[in-house]
Amino acid sequence: MNTVIEANGLTRYYGDLAAVDNVSLSVEAGSLFGLLGPNGSGKTTMIRMLTGQVRPSSGKATVLGVDVVKDPVLARVKVGIIPEQETPPSFLTASEYLDFVAKIRKIEGAGEKAQWWFEFLDFADKKDVLCKDLSRGTRQKLMFAQAFLHRPVLALIDEPLINFDPVMQKTVKEYLREYVCDGGTIFLSTHILEVAEEICSDVAILHRGQIVHSGPLAEILARKEKLSEFFLNAVRKDSYA
Amino acid sequence: MPELFVAMFREEWRMHSTIFGSLGFALFPVLVSAITFMGSAMIPYLEAVIPGGTLSLVVHLQFLLLGVMVGGFGLLGQEVMNRRFGQASLLAYSSRSLPISDRRIFTTFVIKDTVYYFLLWVLPFIAGVTFGIPLSGLSLSFVGLITVTLTLSFLFGLSIVFLLSMLYAKSPALLALVLSGVILIAAVIVWLQIAGMVYLFPPYALYRDFSPLVFLYSVLAIAILFSVSISGMTLSLSGKERHYPNRYGEIAGWLGWLPAAPLVAKDILDLWRSGAFVGQVLFSFLLPLAVIWVSLSVLSAVLPDVQILFSFAAVAGVIAATMYTWLTEFDSVGTYTFLPLGTPDLIKSKFTSFSVLQVIPVLTMAGTAILSGYAMEAFPAVILAVSVSFYACSVMIYLTGLWPAVMVYNARVLLSSLLMIGPVLLVFIWLSFLDSLYACSAVLLALPTYLLVRIAFRKWASWEKVFF
Repeated sequence: MNTVIEANGLTRYYGDLAAVDNVSLSVEAGSLFGLLGPNGSGKTTMIRMLTGQVRPSSGKATVLGVDVVKDPVLARVKVGIIPEQETPPSFLTASEYLDFVAKIRKIEGAGEKAQWWFEFLDFADKKDVLCKDLSRGTRQKLMFAQAFLHRPVLALIDEPLINFDPVMQKTVKEYLREYVCDGGTIFLSTHILEVAEEICSDVAILHRGQIVHSGPLAEILARKEKLSEFFLNAVRKDSYA
Repeated sequence: MPELFVAMFREEWRMHSTIFGSLGFALFPVLVSAITFMGSAMIPYLEAVIPGGTLSLVVHLQFLLLGVMVGGFGLLGQEVMNRRFGQASLLAYSSRSLPISDRRIFTTFVIKDTVYYFLLWVLPFIAGVTFGIPLSGLSLSFVGLITVTLTLSFLFGLSIVFLLSMLYAKSPALLALVLSGVILIAAVIVWLQIAGMVYLFPPYALYRDFSPLVFLYSVLAIAILFSVSISGMTLSLSGKERHYPNRYGEIAGWLGWLPAAPLVAKDILDLWRSGAFVGQVLFSFLLPLAVIWVSLSVLSAVLPDVQILFSFAAVAGVIAATMYTWLTEFDSVGTYTFLPLGTPDLIKSKFTSFSVLQVIPVLTMAGTAILSGYAMEAFPAVILAVSVSFYACSVMIYLTGLWPAVMVYNARVLLSSLLMIGPVLLVFIWLSFLDSLYACSAVLLALPTYLLVRIAFRKWASWEKVFF
């Protein structure tokens, strides 16, 4: 199997606070990797470092063979990203925003691809609405579409389901499963354990900036243990240590 | 609502001080004071060549201009909150979850902005003048008088632009109607000699005739302008859905020959649809230029008209450079961080968009030269204005990257920009005084402009924006 993400000793300080502290992990191609952790555990900082949005204070990371510290833009060319906060530009419409992303990413036949996403995520009636006037859920749909518009081989997605209703959550989860079956890789950051348990193949638990567990999800489930119980034990154990 | 006022004030302070440290920010008003203090030493020399009345009118007009610029920068139109804060989740937004009306939040916000920028600009200026009394020979009572009248001039400028932008946000036709009405009434008042022209600028009237009645007149004029503005302001914090046909592809296609065309097309749509374009041109460019033109015109007793034209061209260039802030002030970098774009790509795109906007100073300067009877000087005046504009913009990019609106309040940035722009401005004004055609030599600024932008690419590539 190919390793698509390799992080060694990644550390990021904000002032005196180590948001991510000496984290090493690797993600294999074709996996749906879940980075789990409580609020403030460092998940978003981890994704930002892996996508070159934030520089690590120390450590190294390669994504699809690209050193994200040396060439963050090339790393972002290759991957799709859904950031934690949905922030499409205010004064473009949803349709214009996908055109904008297509031009930046130099995507051929963008119009048809965008139309497919509008229909698949059921927001074609909103494509002429200014992004700033869209509801949170619709913005999240737009951010989902932009991340997969160029059909990347790897997508790093931060809490992608949080603003979706149950119907849309089901649609998106099915899409992610199919995407992985077709050879794609997903790096999913979430604290919704039910979602992780349902779709992830591998998980890592990040707590206070450090990995407290990493491995295949099947190993946890094989112990007849629910992911939520395992997670709480891992986090509590660390809290009392 | 003192709690909200204090919280907003503290938030504004932290927003600035977080970025370049409390000391760097706290030194900003100290620097303004120091510059004014040194300027005080010039007063006796200026008074020798410029009549005292003219000098005081110019200073009052500068404070009016300061109010106009602060107001034009922060308080424009319906998108005021977005323009002021971007998408940041600050108190003005989070207060919506509190039992306070939008209008009260907005009123507090305006009061906070007024006090904040008064403390940042006006008070240090007056302190500098006060400390400079031994150098200037001004009396303490005179300093007391101008403390009042200059403060009122600042507030008058702020309230005027606030009212005009509120009217513009309602309807450009309404703005035109009200402006026409005001000009007509003012003309009738002056023509029928009901009151002197000076009463159209109440703080200056107070300076000329300090009496309780004129003081009351000045304060009332400002209070009425502010009250009407606040009562007429409609906020678009939570708006209805606005629909537009897809124009992005078409515009990006037209601009395909430009560098970073996809981003420039987005800038153009942002400016147009936010209502910022016309508003900014009117209130952040043409209105300040009108005040500067009046300020320079009163110097016609000591300067030939053609020299006033070239001085105006150079200053207009500096004002035109602030168009860079139009493009950056409400465009959140968070919009781009997950796309394959680096900071140099964004700077390049903003600089390209800025270049497109330079058609405005070109037309303004050419029009001014022709209308003032100097058609032959129009070309060198345009060259001077645009060259200075590009150069001042490159200095801004070099010193502040993509964050000029915030970074300008760093004392080091302010001092550096004064030192990098001031002498250059003086040299080219002086050259244009020698011969109008020498103003064309300002094209030489293209080289430092190019170099500064190139250096800025490297300088800001590794700079992470503080997420606040």
